[in-house]
Amino acid sequence: MTAPPAQRGRRRVLATTLATLLSHYRRHPGQLAMLLLGLWVASALWSGVQAINASARDSYARAEALFESRLDRIERRDGEPLALAEYLDLRRAGAAVSPLVEGTLALTDGEGASRPRVRLLGIDPLTLPGDSPLARRQSSGEALRDWLLPPHRLRAAPDVAAAARADPRLPPVEVDASLPPATLVTDVGVAQRLLGLDGLTRLVIAPRAAAELPATLVRIPARQLASPGQLADSFHLNLTAMGLLALVVGLFIVHAALGLALEQRLGLMRTLRALGVPGRSLVVALGLELLTLGLAGAALGILSGVALARLLLPDVAASLDALYDADVGTRLALPWSYWLGGVAITLGGLATAGAGLLWRAARLDVLALGHAQAWRARLARQQRRQAVAGGVLLGLAGLVGLWLHLAHGQHLVAGFVMVTAALLGVALWLPTLLGGALRLAAGRLRRRPLWQWALADLQLQLPRLQLPMMALLLALAANLGVSSMVGGFRVTFLDWLDQRLLADLYIHPPAERYAALESWLDAQPEVATLLPARHADATLLPDDRRASDAAPAPVALFGLRPAPVLRASWPLAATRDGRDAAWRALEGGAVFVNEQLARRRAIAPGDAIRLRGADGNVHRLSVAAVYPDYGNPHGEIVMPVSRLARQFAAPPGSLGVVLTADATHRDAALSGLHERLTARFGPAVSETLIDQHALKAESRRVFERTFAITAALNGLTLGVAALALLTTLLAQADARLTQLAPLWALGVSRSRLVAAQLGQLAACALGTALVALPLGIALAWSLVAVINVAAFGWRLPLHVFPGQMATTLALAVVVAALAALLPAWRLWRMPPRRLLQEFAAT
Amino acid sequence: MLQLTDVAKSYPTPQGPLFVLDGIDLRLAPGESLALMGESGSGKSTLLHLAAGLDTPDRGEIVLGARALSSLDEAGRADLRRQRLGLVFQQFHLVPSLSVLDNLTLQARLADREDRDWTHHLIERLGLAGLEGRYPEQLSGGQQQRLAIGRALAPRPELLLADEPTGNLDEGAADQVLDLLRALIGESDCALLMVTHSARVAAPLDRCVHLHHGRLADRTP
Repeated sequence: MTAPPAQRGRRRVLATTLATLLSHYRRHPGQLAMLLLGLWVASALWSGVQAINASARDSYARAEALFESRLDRIERRDGEPLALAEYLDLRRAGAAVSPLVEGTLALTDGEGASRPRVRLLGIDPLTLPGDSPLARRQSSGEALRDWLLPPHRLRAAPDVAAAARADPRLPPVEVDASLPPATLVTDVGVAQRLLGLDGLTRLVIAPRAAAELPATLVRIPARQLASPGQLADSFHLNLTAMGLLALVVGLFIVHAALGLALEQRLGLMRTLRALGVPGRSLVVALGLELLTLGLAGAALGILSGVALARLLLPDVAASLDALYDADVGTRLALPWSYWLGGVAITLGGLATAGAGLLWRAARLDVLALGHAQAWRARLARQQRRQAVAGGVLLGLAGLVGLWLHLAHGQHLVAGFVMVTAALLGVALWLPTLLGGALRLAAGRLRRRPLWQWALADLQLQLPRLQLPMMALLLALAANLGVSSMVGGFRVTFLDWLDQRLLADLYIHPPAERYAALESWLDAQPEVATLLPARHADATLLPDDRRASDAAPAPVALFGLRPAPVLRASWPLAATRDGRDAAWRALEGGAVFVNEQLARRRAIAPGDAIRLRGADGNVHRLSVAAVYPDYGNPHGEIVMPVSRLARQFAAPPGSLGVVLTADATHRDAALSGLHERLTARFGPAVSETLIDQHALKAESRRVFERTFAITAALNGLTLGVAALALLTTLLAQADARLTQLAPLWALGVSRSRLVAAQLGQLAACALGTALVALPLGIALAWSLVAVINVAAFGWRLPLHVFPGQMATTLALAVVVAALAALLPAWRLWRMPPRRLLQEFAAT
Repeated sequence: MLQLTDVAKSYPTPQGPLFVLDGIDLRLAPGESLALMGESGSGKSTLLHLAAGLDTPDRGEIVLGARALSSLDEAGRADLRRQRLGLVFQQFHLVPSLSVLDNLTLQARLADREDRDWTHHLIERLGLAGLEGRYPEQLSGGQQQRLAIGRALAPRPELLLADEPTGNLDEGAADQVLDLLRALIGESDCALLMVTHSARVAAPLDRCVHLHHGRLADRTP
């Protein structure tokens, strides 16, 4: 069917207009490359972060789907494996418990090659509670027979299925996409054989099923089991915020490049309008051009984002494992929504960046369209509107900050709104601030005509430079803010490690040898102080004297000996009557709570809390102090170890050993103690000995890895800002010649012109960096005092590092110099004939 | 072909509206050529813009063919311009990113009235043969203006509006361009309204009118 003539005519106008508009890029391929580069970088960083988030969410969903997190656990109080007899006794008593074996298995291919270590679970499908997904999978008779009878079956997560198939010890492998990464599941008997276990790791039971337990066993409700849930969400929210920042900075490039491409085609558009192209068709053609560019940029960006995610995912997985015990696979798992979302966000961002330009092009009448003067007059008005919008955003940031302060709010979204509004508000004010500074400086340079010209010329360039400078401001402020936060975190965390890991050695002996080892160590000449520690679980009950809607919450109990060496260095964030009084109160029956729990439940020193132990007894305890507990996502309560063992039946835990020897003789003392320990208690005990130095080194390694992705994204964002500046400079290089050629004709050499150009940009970037300094420090404060508290439950002290501030200033100049290098080099190499042409034209 | 009746146009200034055209009555017959003369700022270009539908008058009526421009919206005026008018500017306004051939056929393609024989004829007559693949910046001023005339005539318009078409050329090149313009107009049976401040340029045309302070001050038969 052929279209009616009018419709055919409109299509023809649109097609010819679009082809004519796009022909601009054929003559200016560099401009097109920069536009696509901006889109590509913005989309790649955003897509990379989203790919990481999507893969992590997939891992959480699979872990959530596994039966374990939905069932109560039954374990021995002393942490030892359960005997088969204990399981059978419970079954005979009518308890619907199911046996479970868990351990780490090093896979092998039978030829000694190194293979991954996996988590192996052994289950009994006959007794496993019926609503477990794994129980349902073996529900058919044939599947059950295969599972129970030799050679049995083994279900493997997709990432380790191939390695499992290569291991000759394992039963036939079936891939199960719903399993968490690096997990294998098989029959309980097969798992025992593979792990070399006689007993059972634990029993599981449906949450509502009744079971009378002997005193040696403890039941841990499913809801008390650690879940990455909210905390991991916070981590991903932070990642998303970084990705969003990169996207915004990238879109600044796009906006700048589009604006210049449009401005350079004003004459072309006027001609097209004069030749009979309706304004609407012109705007539609420009929209189609944006769509084409957007789709190309999105495709490039998403593919690169996936590659970036592949590169960063191992570090992120390590961070999540270290911070939240969350298992995240190192293989990408991307749902269809990821691909569509990537295209949508790129196109949406492009529409946002280009909408203003389309609107302005549509509103300008055809006779003014070709006059850059009209365009610039609008830019001046736009700058005034920008300043007003910036003021409104800063006001909003102030109001949200005030509300958060007054309401003691821990609202992550409100925190992000405050930070975003403040960043954008200051960015919108930047052109006004720079313009003011330039006017001030120009007035003082009357005796240096070239400098005066350079400053006046820079003022003329500001409308074009404002977007890349805003992008640079955001990137520098984010760089300084995040670096200060991470640097402050590092200093605080390492101090905290030194304070908490006081002992030179830590030993985790088997429960039955704990008492004997404690007495033996106490008698050794190398041992100055023994610091025994125990752990238990309890439930924090709502305060019965305060109106509160808080539900009972699981908390970890930590027992320590308040020895003088510990009292001197253990950090306390808040006390009522000072440190000494707090420690005396602890010995007299009070407890300390960690900052996370104190913030979550609004607990302050002097308050009373109610704890229900595993035996059901409720204890009312007074809080003597709040202590910082960085990196721990859980609520924790500290009390003397003797009381914890007595009141909460805490099993023996670890023994910390503070040596008498000074640093120079430490190794000799350590080695002597280790030898005698091995001789007295055997290698089973001495192998549990951990040197504090190694523990600290491992903690530092985990810390550095945790922030590896932050540093990577930070660097990339700064790179994007440099690209934004380069894009603008290259795109306006030809137009700049009309300003430079008359000066050259008046006797200013090309080398001085190049120096003036570089100086202009360095000054502009330096001014931007000076604005970025207070903004970055404000951002660091927001991160440690608002975002961190809302996301993780603890607050960091604000550290400002003069070295990082100097680095920020230097980075700004380096970024500007790098971006200006190529245009300056082109000017340097330009034949005089070209400058002569420009001079003749002006 | 073109009829202006009591047309007025003003621009706002801090001192009140400034009338650049006031009470203009003008008529142009099919195939007729008319020179519109006047000093700088007399309103010549404004009148041309109004006739082309690029701008709208404050008062009065402009009729092109049988259509009153006031009855058309922006898209309608653009359609009329595309299908029935040819425009030649003093600054040429060629598209720098299109080749000579693409520039020459641009309006014809927009109007869906591309005629290969006529295009070929124009290229020959305009002296652009062999230059089709070049870009405007690679042409001399005279060649660029001839190309702009070719672009305006390629869709065979009923009326050619030319704003100082030789203003940017030296005398010799200007004469060549004008001779060519008149000859091609004769071949395509097109009316011509040409703005100029030069009596020498205006002399060969059928009629000449003078604009003075926004009013038609003098008529030359």
